[in-house]
Parts: sequence; C-alpha cells; structure tokens
Amino acid sequence: MSQLLRSYLTVAMFGAIGVLLAALLLAISALVRPNRPNADKSKVYESGVDPIGDGWSQSQIRYYVFALLFVIFDVETVFIFPWATQLERYAGFGLLEMGIFVFVLLLGLVYAWRKGVLRWV
Amino acid sequence: MLISEFLLLGAVLFCIGVYGVIVRKNAVLVLMSIELILNSVNINLLAFSLKYNDISGQTFALYIIAVAAAEVGVGLALVLLIYRNKRNISLDELSEMKG
Amino acid sequence: MLSTLLASDVVAPFSSPKIDYHALAPELVLAGVIVAVLLADLFLEESKKWVLSTIAGFGLLAAFIPIVTLAVSGHRARSMFGGAYVVDTYSLLVKGIFLLAGYVVVLLSQNYLEEGDYYQGEYYFLLLSSILGMVMMGSSRDLVTIFVSLEFLSIPAYMLAAWRKRDLKSNEAGTKYYLLGVFASAVMLYGMSLLYGDTGTTILKGIGAKLQNGSMSPVAVLGIVFVIIGFAFKVSAVPFHNWAPDTYQGAPTPITAFLSVASKAAGFVALINLIYVAFPHGGDVFQPMIGVMAASTMTLGNVMALRQTNIVRMLAYSSISQGGFILMPLAVAGGKSSGNALTAIVTYLAVYAATNLGLFAVIIAVSRKTRSGEVSSWGGLFSYAPLLGVLATAFLASLAGIPPLGGWVAKFGAFRAVITSGTNWGYALAIVGAVNSVIAFGYYGSLMREIWMKPVPDGDTAPIRTPSSLNAALMICGGATLALGVVPGIILRFSDIIKL
Repeated sequence: MSQLLRSYLTVAMFGAIGVLLAALLLAISALVRPNRPNADKSKVYESGVDPIGDGWSQSQIRYYVFALLFVIFDVETVFIFPWATQLERYAGFGLLEMGIFVFVLLLGLVYAWRKGVLRWV
Repeated sequence: MLISEFLLLGAVLFCIGVYGVIVRKNAVLVLMSIELILNSVNINLLAFSLKYNDISGQTFALYIIAVAAAEVGVGLALVLLIYRNKRNISLDELSEMKG
Repeated sequence: MLSTLLASDVVAPFSSPKIDYHALAPELVLAGVIVAVLLADLFLEESKKWVLSTIAGFGLLAAFIPIVTLAVSGHRARSMFGGAYVVDTYSLLVKGIFLLAGYVVVLLSQNYLEEGDYYQGEYYFLLLSSILGMVMMGSSRDLVTIFVSLEFLSIPAYMLAAWRKRDLKSNEAGTKYYLLGVFASAVMLYGMSLLYGDTGTTILKGIGAKLQNGSMSPVAVLGIVFVIIGFAFKVSAVPFHNWAPDTYQGAPTPITAFLSVASKAAGFVALINLIYVAFPHGGDVFQPMIGVMAASTMTLGNVMALRQTNIVRMLAYSSISQGGFILMPLAVAGGKSSGNALTAIVTYLAVYAATNLGLFAVIIAVSRKTRSGEVSSWGGLFSYAPLLGVLATAFLASLAGIPPLGGWVAKFGAFRAVITSGTNWGYALAIVGAVNSVIAFGYYGSLMREIWMKPVPDGDTAPIRTPSSLNAALMICGGATLALGVVPGIILRFSDIIKL
C-alpha cells in the first residue's frame, strides 16, 4: 500500500470512529429520555423569538450593501497579511506602499460614508 | 507531489463552471459558475507554484481572489438593478434589443 | 520538504525595487486625478458639479505631458519590476492614443450628461479609472499585470454601460457585457494558468523564450488558445461578438463610442503584447485561429450591418467588421512580415479611434435635434447642417477606406502586411478583406445617400446648435482623420517607433 493511501486510511478510520461515537451517544439518549412531543417543540428555532412567515421571506436590501462592503474590504486583507508577516524586512518602503494601499481603500470607505450607506435607517 | 490530482480537480471545476455558465438561466447561478472557474484557476496556479517552487503563481492567485470579489460586487449590483426594474432575474427574458 | 522550508527561512535582505518615477508619471498623474475627481464629487455642492468634467479633461491632458517628455527623452526602453512593466516607444504611442481618445470621450460626455439627469461624479471617476487601466495595459509585459489592467479597464466599463439605471435597455446592455466579459476573463485566466504551468514564469519574455514552434506541449497550446479566446471576446471577434450590438445600442452614446474605440483598442494592445512578446514562436498555433476569426469577423459584421436601420446598431456591426480588419495583420504576426503587421495594427487603431469617435460625435450632435437613432432621421442633413454633413461624410469615407483620408492609409497597411507575408493564408485573407471592403460601401454609402440626397424627414430645417465641447471633439477627430491620411510622414514615423 502506498504512503498516500495509508494516510487516507488513517483519515477514514478517524472519521468512522467519530461517526460511531456520535451515533452511540444519540442512541443511548434516545433510549433513556422520556418522549412527550408537542407543537411548540417542533417549531423552527429563531433565537427564542416566535418565527414569523416562512423561511423564504425576502431579507432587507440594506443587508446587501453591508455584505458587499464587507466582502470587498475583507478580501483586500489578502494583500495585507503577506505584507504583515514580512513587515520588518520591508521596513520603510513597505510601510509607505501599504500606506498608499490603505489610503486608496479608505477612499472607498469615505465614498460609502458620504453616500450614506453606513447609516442604519 | 500531488500535482496531477490538483490539476484534475482544477479541470473538473473548470468544466462544471463552463457548463453552468452555458446552461443556467438564473443570473446569480451564472455568477456562481464563474466563481467556480476562477477557483479552478486558483487551484491550478497554486499547484504549479508548488511544482516550480516559485512565488509568482501564488501572487497571481491573490490578485484573482481580490478582483473576483470586486467583479461579483458589480455583478450582484447589476442583477439587483434588473430585479428592481423587472422583478425577475432570468437571463432568457433579457431581450429588449434584437437584430 | 521540511529542509527546503527551513532553508527558505534564511532570506536575503530585502531591497526595494527600483522605480522609475518618470516612466510611471502618466499613470501617477491619472491616479491623482481620479482621487481628485472622487473627492470633488463627494464634497462639492450639486451646483458646482460641472467642475468634475473640467478636472477630468485637464487631468487627461496633464497625463499626456509626461508621455511627451518621455518620448523626447530618448528611445531607450525603461523596464521595471523584473520586466513586468515596460515603458518603450510603442507603449508610449498607444498610451497617447488612449489618453486622447479618453479626452474626446470626456468632451462628448459633457453636455450629454448635463442635459440628461444622470449622476455626474461617478461617471468621470469610472471613465478615468477605465482609461488608467488602458494606459497600464500599454506597458504590461506580465500575465499578472495584463490581468490586473484588463480588469481595471473592464469593471468600470460594465458599470458605465449600465449607466441609465431606470432604463431596461441600459441594464440589459450592462448585464450582457458584464456576464460575457467576466466569463471571457475567466477562460483567459485558465489559459494563463496553463501557460504558467508549462513555462514556470509569468513574465511574457520568459514565456516567449520557453515556447518554441514544433516542440510545444499540449498544455501550452491549450493555454495559448484559451488566452486568445478570452481577448477575442474583448475585441468582439466572431464567434464571440454576441454582446457587442446589444451593449452598444443600450449604453449611453458617449460610452458606446468609448467601448467601441478605447476598450476594443485595449484588447488589441493586450493581444499584441501577448503575441509579439510571449508567443513569437507560436505562429503554428495562433495564426490559423486568428486568420479564421478575422475573415469571419469582417464578413459577418458587414453582412449584419447591411440589415440595420438603427444608426448606433449599424455602427456596432461596422465596428465588429473593422475589428476583423485589425485582426487581419495579426494573423500573419510571427512570420516574415511581423514588423509590417505590428505597424499596420497600431496605425489602424489610431486611425479607427479618430474616425469612429468623430462619427459618434456627429451622431450625438444630430440626435440633439432629431431625438432619434434611425438611419432615416439623417435625411437631408447636409441641407440644414452642412458642416456636420461634410464631416459625417468624411468619417464614413474614412471608415470605408477612401483616399485621401486616414482610413485609406490604415487599410493599405493592413493589406500590405498580409500580402508581404507571402503565405497562402495571407493571400486568402487579403481577398476576403478586399471583398469585404466593397460590401462595406453598401451601408456606409446608404448613410451618405441619406445625408446628401434624401429630403428632410419632418421638414424641420432649423440648424443644429452644438455646444463648444462637441465642436472641439469634432475638430480634433476631423483633423486627426485628415492628417493621418494626407501627411504620410506621420505613419512612416510610426514604423520607426513601433518595435517590440
């Protein structure tokens, strides 16, 4: 058996044990617990508030703008992380470059702020 | 190294993505298919970058991730615009102009 | 594996890359202007927003200054970032074309925007961003740089095409452009990843050194094909042209002018960079492909243009067919007439930019009065607006390739390039091109007939009042179209400058 398959075997065994363990625990609790179903118990859990409407209701459009802003700014960090790991090596030059990069990103934030996107109405 | 496995994964993702772009009628699903293609490119680039022990492939992948996010932002905004005007995001019904 | 990881821990001290600020000056100036336009839009009152177009216009001219100083400071190529970004005379020339085309588009937009009720600040911000992407494309000599420039010029263009938010046609224009553009760039990226995988470098020169005719691996062939397909979308070559007519018709007219000239030219510049630097020895792969695309592009574009009754849509198909003519010399690149082909393409791009922008300026001017995009609305144009009539005729004649206008020189160069290649491919392409030049007279001629011979459709012969910015745009384009045709020295000079 090749080294590759052997390591996968370990993974498979680990997975099997995990599944078995979980099944065992669920089975034991099913045997032990009392069983009294009622309507409230089978309701969808929504942070303790009574659920309203069905699961496919439309969500507020302003979440979209926030999500979009988050995704864009979040993704820009892929450029900041590699830089941060080598911060000392790049010294002043790196700091200047990152300063310019962050300045351009800030322009985007200023734009969003001036357009009133950041205000929660 | 597992180069060929990664490349196979990349090729499969690429094909699924192209299939999705061609077959799907829902604009959002088309966007998702395009993301699949971009991810297949990233997988390819990372695999080759490991093969050559060369950093430029990974840099390329970082750029693709960032640009893909910007692209999707614009794409979703366009889809939203169409939804506002038409209450519908089916690409088949986008046919104002002909000829 | 572990040992290599540990070894890579001991790294050489970092030295910052040498940056030639003079060579980067056009880009830096443009970037500064973009920031200025954005901030001015955010913090100015509504009544002062007209400043934005002035800033944008002067900014583009300011970015032109370093191009001139670079051009007079010698012909040495300035290479930066390990060869990823090269400023040489060829790239300066195409940058100049992009900046001037951008300036004309700003002139075209001024009154168009002020008279429609569109947002202003973002418009110029996006337009300038797109132009910056194009300027960067001129110098890109690396897969990553090409990709970033391509997206930089495309993403703002998607938004500009969908500019009229409430108009479903404009939405459709933007969405079609966006979906096909993004799909094309994804396919192109897959091709780039394969090229990187085959050669182990993203620098075009390095790729060119590794790829050799005959001994090319299937992976590299696939990579080249995918990359070319990706850019074929950008330059709307058949069979990847479907988006172009709808996008051109639905977008605001100045943006249509911008897309059909600058965006298309940027696609060609990218193709030139790739083919001349990265695949000079890959002729076996790309020549037949581009040849077939060129022939079918000009034929289909022409045949479809004959059937159109809407002027903008007719011009959309005309620009597709002109794209075929620009592709024609590229199909013999890498062979004997490589140098001729390169000069021919860049000349064609310059002439086409001047002519097509001029024609769009006329369209915008005429539709200020007629409020219509139909061919018949141009009836009797000469009788009430003689200057516009003459200019429109000149631009149409230039597009058709009638001497002594610029279009003639451009077509001549393209035909010379394919014929001097001495291959059967070249001769066949030249014949297809010649037949198509004749077909093109059909629709260019029908527009001319409207202008000169038909009666005015509604009898309204009040003269057209054009704002000064539109007049300036008409003058620049008309002058350039004429000058490129009658002063052969300009084009001869091109062939010295354009070397890769």
